[in-house]
Amino acid sequence: MINATLYRREMKGSVKLLLILAAVITLYVSVIIGMYEPEMMATLDSFYAVMPELMASVGMRAGATSLIGFMISYLYGFILLIFPMLFCILRGNGLIAKYVDNGSMATLVAAPVRRSTIAFTQMSVLLSGIVLLVAYSTALELALAMTGFPGELAAGELLTLNAGLLCLHLFIGGICFLSSCLFSETRTSLAFGAGIPALMYVLQMLANAAEDAKAARYFSLFTLFDANGLVAGESRALLGMFALLLGAVALYAAAIAIFSKKDLHL
Amino acid sequence: MSVICVDKLTRDYGGGKGVFDLSFRVEEGEVFGFLGPNGAGKTTTIRHLMGFIRPKSGSCTIGGVDCFAGRSEIQRNLGYIPGEISFFDDMTGTEFLAFLAGYRKLGKDHRAGEMLERFELDPKGKIRKMSKGMKQKLGIVAAFMHDPQILILDEPTSGLDPLMQSRFVELVEQEKRRGKTLLLSSHMFEEVERTCDRVGIIRQGKLVDVDSVEALRARHVRTYRVTLDSEQTAQAFARDFGGTCDGRTVTLRARQRLEDIFMHYYGGDGK
Repeated sequence: MINATLYRREMKGSVKLLLILAAVITLYVSVIIGMYEPEMMATLDSFYAVMPELMASVGMRAGATSLIGFMISYLYGFILLIFPMLFCILRGNGLIAKYVDNGSMATLVAAPVRRSTIAFTQMSVLLSGIVLLVAYSTALELALAMTGFPGELAAGELLTLNAGLLCLHLFIGGICFLSSCLFSETRTSLAFGAGIPALMYVLQMLANAAEDAKAARYFSLFTLFDANGLVAGESRALLGMFALLLGAVALYAAAIAIFSKKDLHL
Repeated sequence: MSVICVDKLTRDYGGGKGVFDLSFRVEEGEVFGFLGPNGAGKTTTIRHLMGFIRPKSGSCTIGGVDCFAGRSEIQRNLGYIPGEISFFDDMTGTEFLAFLAGYRKLGKDHRAGEMLERFELDPKGKIRKMSKGMKQKLGIVAAFMHDPQILILDEPTSGLDPLMQSRFVELVEQEKRRGKTLLLSSHMFEEVERTCDRVGIIRQGKLVDVDSVEALRARHVRTYRVTLDSEQTAQAFARDFGGTCDGRTVTLRARQRLEDIFMHYYGGDGK
């Protein structure tokens, strides 16, 4: 099912990107959690009073009083959505479509290794990267909250929240990977693999910013990730999380099936 | 027994490109040359044999197994040199060969070292920095390292200098003696002539002729005998015109270019 040699090579190919993204996430998460102060809250609330649309479009709301509410407002609207998404887009394309486009896929298929094994291995590389990024973010958040504000953060709430975040990114990764398996050119693979998630993020921003654009949320998969609902333990939010997970499984299964059957003009 | 069977294979890319109703067989232990100009459909046929693409109609099998459905099984015993070499650029040649050995689960028992020596290739550098010829050599090493029974080679000598081309011809001869079955595509008559038992000539996706090299040679290569005034002149003449000298007599072979051979098949419609 999985080719260990290929997996090792591709994980090595992910390291640099993972390190860069982890560094960016470290920077933002530590700065934002470090900003959690009652006085600071007042300042941010005053920003919100001046430019509510702009703040809301990136998921930031006024009156986030608890530490986790504060984190949801300032981390889960932009930073923890965009950076793992960037990983999905770049690696999703790089793992299949790039090799088909530049011809090096010939090396992989001209060997006694099933196409389904090749696709499954490449998928595992993508999933490993996503899991690593979310797991790292979780550990970082926990460590910073525990040292900076002992007793302020309920670990259970954060784990539920990040399980939802993981499902969202697995789904986004699924879109990128399907696009990569479907198209034989990097250009088209990126157009769909990056275009669809980016468009949905913009729709989400619109829906957050303007009352009139609320309907836009029905066209965005980001809606299924309801951070506040997950922390509150709402069943609707949990349902959304499982919908994302199921959708992700379907996307990866479709991607592997398509890659196994398609014509490769190598 | 036929190892490679192509039966009424058709794949239309539109605009006259593709292969049409193509049928031929390659017997066990035979070196089969697949000769044709660029864009004639050689690579398209090879893509079908490799199981990269599915035939639109007709079929192709290797060892009795369907090339698309049974591709991973077939690949166990097959070596392949792609027409356009594209490996993982970010690796060094050494890393790439180690990767292949692991990927194909060869263990330590493979011929990469012997092949590197034969083609005088130092694989330490990054593949991205390698010249066309070096990449081609690496492709040859990769195709032969697992000592496959069947070899499909798409223009295997492109980019090689004449010395290395000769080494390659020696390798093909040696593998043939070891009972291997080879299909070798080329657009150069000389290359096919030196290595192959039988030749299939393909043009605009259709097989024009399949015949033994001797028969083709008899039809397309004329031999002349020239007698000169002195042995010295004869030797100089032989050297300049690539003939063989015997006393004052020099034997010359006129090599026809591929276009001329196609002219023969199409009665002047050599476009």
